Amino acid sequence: MFFEQLLNGLVVGSMYALIALGFSLVFGVLNKLNFAHPELFMLSGFLTIAMVALGIPLAIAAVLVCVVIGVAGLAVELVSFRKFAGKDGHITAALSSLAVGLVLIDGAQKYWGTEPISMPGASTLRIASVSAWGISISWLKIGTLIFTLVLMVVLHHMITRTRFGRNIRATADSPDAARLLGIDVKRVNQYTFLMASVLAAIAGIMLLLRTGYATTDVGFSLGLKALAILAIGGMGELRGAVLGGLLVGVLESMAFHFGLGRLSDVVVWILMIGVLLIRPAGLFGGGGIHKETRA
Amino acid sequence: MTSDHIIFTGLNILLAWSAYVILMSGSLSFANGAFMALGAYGSGVLTVKFGLHLLVALPIAAVGTAVFAALVALPALRTRGVYLILVTIGIASCLRAVLESTPYIGGVRGMSGLMGTQIWHIAVLVVLVGGMLWWISRSPLQRILDAVREDESVARSMGIHTVYVKTIMFSAGAAIAAMAGGLYAHHMVFVRPENFDILVSIYIVLYIILGGTNNMWGPVLGAVTMTLLPEVLRGASEWRGTLFGAMVVLMLLIRPDGLLAFRIQSISARVMPPNREPQS
Amino acid sequence: MSNSVALSVQGVSKTFGGVVALEGVSLDLKQGEILALVGPNGAGKSVLVNVITGFYEASAGHIFLGDNDISLQPAHVRARMGLARTFQNIRLFLRMTVLENVMVAMKQHTSNPLRAVFCVNEKANLEKAMSLLHKAGLASKANDAAGSLAYGEARRLEIARALAGDPHILLLDEPAAGMNDRETEDLAVHIHALRDIVQATIVIEHDMGFLRGLCDRMVVLDYGRIIANGTVAEVLKDPRVVEAYLGIEA
Repeated sequence: MFFEQLLNGLVVGSMYALIALGFSLVFGVLNKLNFAHPELFMLSGFLTIAMVALGIPLAIAAVLVCVVIGVAGLAVELVSFRKFAGKDGHITAALSSLAVGLVLIDGAQKYWGTEPISMPGASTLRIASVSAWGISISWLKIGTLIFTLVLMVVLHHMITRTRFGRNIRATADSPDAARLLGIDVKRVNQYTFLMASVLAAIAGIMLLLRTGYATTDVGFSLGLKALAILAIGGMGELRGAVLGGLLVGVLESMAFHFGLGRLSDVVVWILMIGVLLIRPAGLFGGGGIHKETRA
Repeated sequence: MTSDHIIFTGLNILLAWSAYVILMSGSLSFANGAFMALGAYGSGVLTVKFGLHLLVALPIAAVGTAVFAALVALPALRTRGVYLILVTIGIASCLRAVLESTPYIGGVRGMSGLMGTQIWHIAVLVVLVGGMLWWISRSPLQRILDAVREDESVARSMGIHTVYVKTIMFSAGAAIAAMAGGLYAHHMVFVRPENFDILVSIYIVLYIILGGTNNMWGPVLGAVTMTLLPEVLRGASEWRGTLFGAMVVLMLLIRPDGLLAFRIQSISARVMPPNREPQS
Repeated sequence: MSNSVALSVQGVSKTFGGVVALEGVSLDLKQGEILALVGPNGAGKSVLVNVITGFYEASAGHIFLGDNDISLQPAHVRARMGLARTFQNIRLFLRMTVLENVMVAMKQHTSNPLRAVFCVNEKANLEKAMSLLHKAGLASKANDAAGSLAYGEARRLEIARALAGDPHILLLDEPAAGMNDRETEDLAVHIHALRDIVQATIVIEHDMGFLRGLCDRMVVLDYGRIIANGTVAEVLKDPRVVEAYLGIEA
C-alpha cells in the first residue's frame, strides 16, 4: 500500500514537474511568469476529449492537441509578452497573462460547464495493469512515469547539447548579450513558449488518461502548485522544476497516506515558505551576483 | 440602486483600496481575498461564539489579520518582489483548505448567524480609508512610498528602511481587507470557505489594474465599474470572467497604468527668478 | 582642515561564488579630501562602492565611518549615518518631478517614514531643496518631470538629491560618464565646490583629465586589489599602474 502511494506520488509528481518545467522555461528565458500556462494545461484535456468524440484516434488526437496548444502558447506570447519586453514589463506581462488565463477558464466553463467531462473509452485504458511483488500497478501509470522521464532526458539533451539549446541558454543569461551574438531573441522566446505549451499539453493529456475526465478548475489548482514548485526548485532552474515536482508529488502522497486529506494541498506551500526562509534561491538556485543583490 | 448594490460597491472599493495600499509601496498582493476571509471568520467567531458587538469584533479581527500578514510576508518582503507574489498566492491557496478542515468554524459548510452590518458602517469605513489615502497623497509619505515603489535600492541608499515601509503598508492593506471581510460576512449572515477563493484576490488586483494604479481614485473607478457593469449590461454578469479578462488584456496593451493613470504631484514650488538667492 | 579619518576601509574582501572581486582592500578617506578611485573595467570599483554603502556584504574586513564600525549595518542605516551615493547609470525617480526627487531625500522623512505623514517642516525643506536646485542650476525646472532632463542636468540632480540628506561622505560612481569636455569641466567645478558641504568625497572615474585637477589623492584598483595610493602625479608614474591601465587618457 505504501509503495503504491509512493508510485502514485511519483506519477502525480511527474505531472507537476511537466507543468513546472513550462513555467520554469518561460521564467528562465524571459524572466517573467506566464499565468496563462496552467490554463493551456487545462484546455488540452478538453480538446482531446472533443477530438476523440469526433472519431479521431487517440494517438493522433494527442498529437493534434499538442500542435493546437503550442499555437495557443505562441498567441499568448504575442498578446501578453511581446510588448512588455523590458525589465519593467515583468508585472504587466504577468498580469496580462493572468487575464488571458481568466478568459480561457471562463470560456471553458461556458462551453463545457463546470462538471467533469469524461472521455469515451477511457476506462478500458485504466484497467490494464500488471501484478508484481504483491502490488497491482496499472500500465498507464508506469507508462506515464517512463514517458515523462524520457521526455525530460530529451529536453535536457536538447538544452545542453544542441546549438538551439545553447541559444536558449544564452538568451536566458542575457537577452542583450544574446542579440549581440546574433541570436534572434524573438524567435528564441517564441520557441520557448512553444516548448512550454507542448509540455503543458502533454501533462494535460496524461492527466486525462490517468483519471478519465477533464475539469475546468484543474489548471488553477495545479498551476498554482507548479508556481510553488518553481520557487522550491529555484526560479528558472529546470532541474529544480523536475526534482521539485517529483518531491512535492511524493510528499503530498505521503501526507494523504497519513490521513491529512484536504490539508495535503497545503504541503507544497509550507515547503515553499520553508525553502524561502532557509535558501531563498531555491534548492537548485545558482549562486553568483544574482543572489547577492538585495531587492 | 438597491441597498445591496451600495453595500457591495462600498465593499469592493474598500477591497480595491486594500490592494492599492500594498501597491503603493511597490508590492503586488494576491492574498487580499484571504485577508478578507480572515476578517470575516475572525470577526464572525468573536460575534457568534463570544458575543462581542460587531464594532468591537471588527477592529480586533483586523489587527489580528494585520499581524498575521506581517509575519507571513516578512521573509518575502526582504527579497525580490516575485517571491511576495508567490507567498500571497500561497496564502490564498492554502486558506480555503485550512478553513474547510476546521470544524470549529463549520468546515466546508461554513458559519451562520453573522448579522449586524448597516450601510452606514461601510460608508464610514470608506470615508475613513479614503480620507487616510487622501491625507497620505498630500504628505511627504507619498514621496517616500513612490521612491520605494519605483526603485527600492535607491530608496535604501537614501536612508529609507524599505522593508519596514513595505511591511507596514502590507499589514495596513490586510487590515482594511479584513474589515471589509467582516462587514461582508455580517451582511451575508452565512459564510463558507468557497466564498473566499483565490479568484477573489485576483479580481481585487484587476480592479486596480483597470481603474488606475497611480492614485487613489483608480481603484475606486475599477471597483465601481466591475461591480455595477454586470448590472447595467444584461448578461454581462454571466460572462464576467471573459469580459473582465479581455478588458484587462486590452488595457495593458493600450494603457498599462490603467484608466486613471495620472500621478498626483505631492508638492510644487513657485519658480524663483534666476538671479535671486533664496533665503535659507 | 583636520587630518582625521572620515571613512576607513580595512582589509575588505568580497567573493561571489568562486570569483574574488575584492581582496584585502584598505584605504582611508581623510576629512576634507576628494579621493579618486580608478582602475580598469572589472577591477572591482563598483563592487567596492557597493560594499562600502552596504549593498553587498563584505566577505571579510571592516568598514569604519568615523569611529563607528558600520560593517554589519544595512544600507539604509549607513545612509542615515551620513553616507550618500550616486549610481553609475543615473537612477532618478523618473515618475516624480525634479523638486520631488530632492524633497524625497530629506533626512527627516527618510529616517521616519511614518511620521512623514504629518507635513512638519515642509516649508523649510522646500526652501532647502530649492536652494540645492539653485546651486545645481535646476531651479527653473523644479516642477518638470525628472525624465525630461538632459543628461548633464540629470547627473546634477542626482548629486543634489544625494546632498539633500546632509551626508558627511559622498560617493560618486562615474559622474562624468557620457559627458563632453564642457560638461565635464562644469562637473569638476561643481564637485570641487562640494568641499564646503560634505566632509569628504570619493569619485570613481576613468577620465584622468577630469580627475587631475579635482582630486587630492588617487587609489588604483586592479583585479580587486589596490596597487597604488598617492597623489595623482605619484600614481601616474607608478609602473604597475601604467601596466595595468594601458590606454590612460593623459
